[in-house]
Amino acid sequence: MATQPHSRKRVCYYYDSDIGNYYYGQGHPMKPHRIRMTHNLLLNYGLYRKMEIYRPHKATAEEMTKFHSDDYIRFLRSIRPDNMAEYNKQMQRFNVGEDCPVFDGLYEFCQLSAGGSVAAAVKLNKQASEICINWGGGLHHAKKSEASGFCYVNDIVLGILELLKYHQRVLYIDIDVHHGDGVEEAFYTTDRVMTVSFHKYGEYFPGTGDLRDIGAGKGKYYAVNIPLRDGMDDEAYESIFVPIISKVMETFQPSAVVLQCGADSLTGDRLGCFNLTVKGHGKCVEFVKKYNLPFMMVGGGGYTIRNVSRAWTYETSVALGVEIANELPYNDYFEYFGPDFKLHISPSNMANQNTPEYLEKIKTRLFENLRMLPHAPGVQVQTIPDDAINEESDNEDKVDKDERLPQKDLDKRIAPENEFSDSEDEGEGGRRDNRSYKGRKRPRMEKTTENKEPEEKPKEEVKLEKSEESSKTNSDDTTTDTG
Amino acid sequence: MTANMYRVGDYVYFETSSTSPYQIRRIEELNKTPSGNVEAKVMCFYRRRDLPPQLIQLADKHQCALDETNGSPTSESVLSNEQLGPKQRHQMKHRELFLSRQVETLPATHIRGKCSVTLLNETEALCSYLNKDDMFFYCLVYDPTQKTLLADKGEIRVGSRYQCDVPPLLKDGESDNRDLTETETLVWTPNHNLNDRQIDQVLVVSRSVGTFARALDCSSSVKQPSLHMSAAAASRDITLFHAMDTLHRHDYDLASAMCSLVPSSGPVLCRDEMEEWSASEANLFEEALDKYGKDFNDIRHDFLPWKTLKNIIEYYYMWKTTDRYVQQKRVKAVEAESKLKQVYIPNYNKTNPAALNNNKGVLNGNSNGTGTDPAVSLGGKACESCNTSTCTQWYAWGPSHMQCRLCQQCWSYWKKYGGLKIPTRFGDGMDFEGGIKKRSGSDVEDDKGMGHRPHRCNIGGCGKEFKLKAHLGRHYATAHGIAVRAGSPRPVMKTRTAFYLLTTALTRLSRRLCRHIMRPRHAARAPSFAINIQAVKQECAAQMVNKSQQELKQLMLYRKRNRGSVTAIASKLGHTGPPTPQWLILTDKTFLPQPEVVAFPKPPKGPDGSLLYERVPNKPEAEKIPLNNTSPSLKRRTYEDMNGIDSSSLHAPTAKRLAKDPSSSALTSLPAPTAIPISRHHASTVPPIMAGAAPLGSVPMSVPPSAVDQYQAMMAVAAASQTQLPPGLMGGPVAPRQVAQVNGKPKIAQMTRSGSGRKQFVNWMDAPDDLYFKATENSKKIRRQISSVELRRAARKPWRFLKTKLDDLTQVVVLD
Repeated sequence: MATQPHSRKRVCYYYDSDIGNYYYGQGHPMKPHRIRMTHNLLLNYGLYRKMEIYRPHKATAEEMTKFHSDDYIRFLRSIRPDNMAEYNKQMQRFNVGEDCPVFDGLYEFCQLSAGGSVAAAVKLNKQASEICINWGGGLHHAKKSEASGFCYVNDIVLGILELLKYHQRVLYIDIDVHHGDGVEEAFYTTDRVMTVSFHKYGEYFPGTGDLRDIGAGKGKYYAVNIPLRDGMDDEAYESIFVPIISKVMETFQPSAVVLQCGADSLTGDRLGCFNLTVKGHGKCVEFVKKYNLPFMMVGGGGYTIRNVSRAWTYETSVALGVEIANELPYNDYFEYFGPDFKLHISPSNMANQNTPEYLEKIKTRLFENLRMLPHAPGVQVQTIPDDAINEESDNEDKVDKDERLPQKDLDKRIAPENEFSDSEDEGEGGRRDNRSYKGRKRPRMEKTTENKEPEEKPKEEVKLEKSEESSKTNSDDTTTDTG
Repeated sequence: MTANMYRVGDYVYFETSSTSPYQIRRIEELNKTPSGNVEAKVMCFYRRRDLPPQLIQLADKHQCALDETNGSPTSESVLSNEQLGPKQRHQMKHRELFLSRQVETLPATHIRGKCSVTLLNETEALCSYLNKDDMFFYCLVYDPTQKTLLADKGEIRVGSRYQCDVPPLLKDGESDNRDLTETETLVWTPNHNLNDRQIDQVLVVSRSVGTFARALDCSSSVKQPSLHMSAAAASRDITLFHAMDTLHRHDYDLASAMCSLVPSSGPVLCRDEMEEWSASEANLFEEALDKYGKDFNDIRHDFLPWKTLKNIIEYYYMWKTTDRYVQQKRVKAVEAESKLKQVYIPNYNKTNPAALNNNKGVLNGNSNGTGTDPAVSLGGKACESCNTSTCTQWYAWGPSHMQCRLCQQCWSYWKKYGGLKIPTRFGDGMDFEGGIKKRSGSDVEDDKGMGHRPHRCNIGGCGKEFKLKAHLGRHYATAHGIAVRAGSPRPVMKTRTAFYLLTTALTRLSRRLCRHIMRPRHAARAPSFAINIQAVKQECAAQMVNKSQQELKQLMLYRKRNRGSVTAIASKLGHTGPPTPQWLILTDKTFLPQPEVVAFPKPPKGPDGSLLYERVPNKPEAEKIPLNNTSPSLKRRTYEDMNGIDSSSLHAPTAKRLAKDPSSSALTSLPAPTAIPISRHHASTVPPIMAGAAPLGSVPMSVPPSAVDQYQAMMAVAAASQTQLPPGLMGGPVAPRQVAQVNGKPKIAQMTRSGSGRKQFVNWMDAPDDLYFKATENSKKIRRQISSVELRRAARKPWRFLKTKLDDLTQVVVLD
């Protein structure tokens, strides 16, 4: 599948001005406010005016139950901080409480997040847009009837389900530092969705995402997991992202792509442990965009909110194919970006535990798996241009189409074919981000996994028995074992 | 520099005991304690040797199972596994760790270097770990409290309860009847005929309108007295968003959009929460934030009920951009200063107590006088691991009776990887106390606290540390022959494996012939010194050549020596009332010489009650300064009384000699009947313990605490009665000794003088652990039965056997 140079795309952006006012609770690292910060940056960078801005409608319970179980959605709809006590049992069952707290407007928040992704998918289906962005979405941990990792409703799955109506094969890519387990699980047994997740693996939430997890049944080889270690930097990330995505595109040949842009893989994230810069993170967007497939970008993790809004602003500009200045424009939350007030951030000096050999070995193994895929017929990709015009007319009625734009303006809309300059001043600022927050939050996530009921506990139990009445055999064992 | 900089998240070696291997930990937090030390909160990794043997077998099984289930894709790793030789397999075991969720706090000064721990990935060849130093891997999680192993692996579940129903692909021309108007509302489109400049102009106009509106608005003019402030307020994002929305609503028609900014009701005024809130509301909010933290529900409920929660949250995020927040943050930053990101720990280069003194070896070697190979002459054994016999620095390793040692290289390998490079007769290099595994359930609780404070053997000079109390108990039993009970009725004593020493004719012969090398008496007294076997062999062979068969036979004959009958000796030994040794008879007080000089007068007290120590100047005139006389009001009366300070005698230069006074060492190593000033009726059991402890403790120079105690007691008595100990006891010319007074308790002099003339203090950390006697119901009962006369006598002569009706209570309880 050939990639093309950047061209200016029709970009649709989904945002509800209420989203920033949902609050997970004191001390909770997930802050929907980061979406508002991104939005304000977009306005002041002048990116706002270059794309179609939509306010998504709230997803209905009916829409959400396309994936989620009825009783789970019913539960989400009815639970409130003031009636929590009545739902004790269900809260346990649905894993709502600790990591995924009950907060005011929880259901509305889920509706907006899911509504954005569903609307984006419908938009792509109608071919009314080439790139759709929903920074309020990307909640990739949510399970069919279970909340997990700050996610309640899996907007990504809902969006992909929508896309699957018109697309034979949908590719899901996840660059969040956490494994995209909710999406992977939802499509674990289907060959129509390939989930590719790049994540930190090993003693890390959610504990899934082993290299050996490759899908099941019909979906075998359609789950691709890239387990990584601490300290991934831009260079290493690109060295694994580019070949794997290229290979996936080549063998799977999707007709639509969903990219989860979790920003907790950035350097200095409160919960993350990678060392990516905004540029390195944005490169993934840039690379996927080059395939010119219907492209949905969603948010996800990201807990150092100033960096999250930086990254997502930059990635919006990448989607638009517009270059933006490194100097941040003044906005309501300008002070958050001190002391340098720059868009780009510098990596920290943390060690990258992913050696080139390690990445190479992973890559080789994944290529072996991808070789097992039956060759996808290459028809699906061609169908898009045919009915594009018809579909477009349906949705373009808001725009006055009878009136031609002045030539001057049309000229402006021609994409300048300049690529992103990498030479832009990179080294400012120094490291402001505090990695020490990481440890504080992580045990909490682990704890919840451990609190689960034994049958739900996704742990491979090897041994439970206490070594109690063994004083006699002890010495024997020592000798036999160690000899 | 960077190598010694330790950051949060680093994997490091920790040394908590000098003789056992390092512990591997990951730094989770670095905190500065009020005293200025740095404490590291660390996550524990366990070695194979730390695990109970059953779990190790389990881990091995798990590994095998993994290899099998993986079939073809993992063939590579299986293959590479098979390529490992037995030696590599052995070393591989040292590289495997087990993650635990256990967190402990250790002083950062115990860090001994960095290492790397990674989750084993099956694509990796195990050799890749062996080839690099300080690399470890883990694949299982160990729970030390539950004694379980888990694979740290989540699971993607399969079933209709977990997967979604994938909708069928619509046929060509078919539609899902989705209506975009149901899913979204357009707020802005770039498809209009305005250019960037025109949009900018609209934005400027809307700001201007906003400024004007603020000028007209009374409430605003109070808040923003200057035009600048009004303009700034009018430039906030809310005005801009409103302008964009207006433009969109008016179909990007500039004229109508601008007109709508100034409707008949007056210019449009867009205010966000930041501006909306009055100063008093802002104060209320800050007050509330102070009180409740960021619990906005409570804040709203108790402080700002007229605001909605959304108002408050929006305001909060804007308030964070203000100066007031920045100020607050600074305060917080100061508070958070105790949390460090990194810490610099210099290389540790104190010698390990296990390091063997080379001189001793040389001395031994020289004693044979035959000038053999220098390597051999370095004393006995070769390196337990690599078998080399030449090395610059040797380390004692293993149980002291085994006399094993390691060369420098193998020692650092042992410290880092917890095993020997090459498998030996000790199996996997199981450390000996480690080999004795935990036993009772009650130990599990102890387990949690381990690492914080190891259980230390407090028998004189031993000082070995153990993770578990039970291990210490075993150690007491095996190494010192003491039965220690820790409350549990189960016996901890386990008989040692019997061994049988076969003395061949040649052995016996060599004992006779090479007496000068073996020095049997010396060896009997100092069983911990190695005998140079090589030298003995050589000497024996050399001597045998010169002797006839007959002579040799003669040598081997056993000559009985008459030492009197056993019964006679036994009855003599068992005699309860031996004559009090002469040195124990107290000289009459009146005959005792008075101290002329006080060697180390106590320094004055500071206002906070601490002692003000000062550098002692070397110049004699400096010594004139009567430190303790400077603040007579602060001086303790008892001190003066006890030392009988005579300021006129302060000039006498006696202090320096004191430290070298042979009596001090002679005294402390007195093999005296111990007088532990503790529970009297148990005293009967004490002497055998201490008697056993002193020779068994492998460091003969150290002071058995019992002796110290006794000495203290004696000094106390002497001091209290204003007397001196008899000259005989002090050994030679009477040198007055000083008794420092600490908390009213007599204690051995705490200061010693080193060459630099600086006072040095025995750190309380180095003091031997406390030894307690636990008074049980029974013992209390017995005490009550003893007459007060008896009790007093027992206190005076604690070594004497105290007759009680219950003689079976022969247990010492060591607590900590």
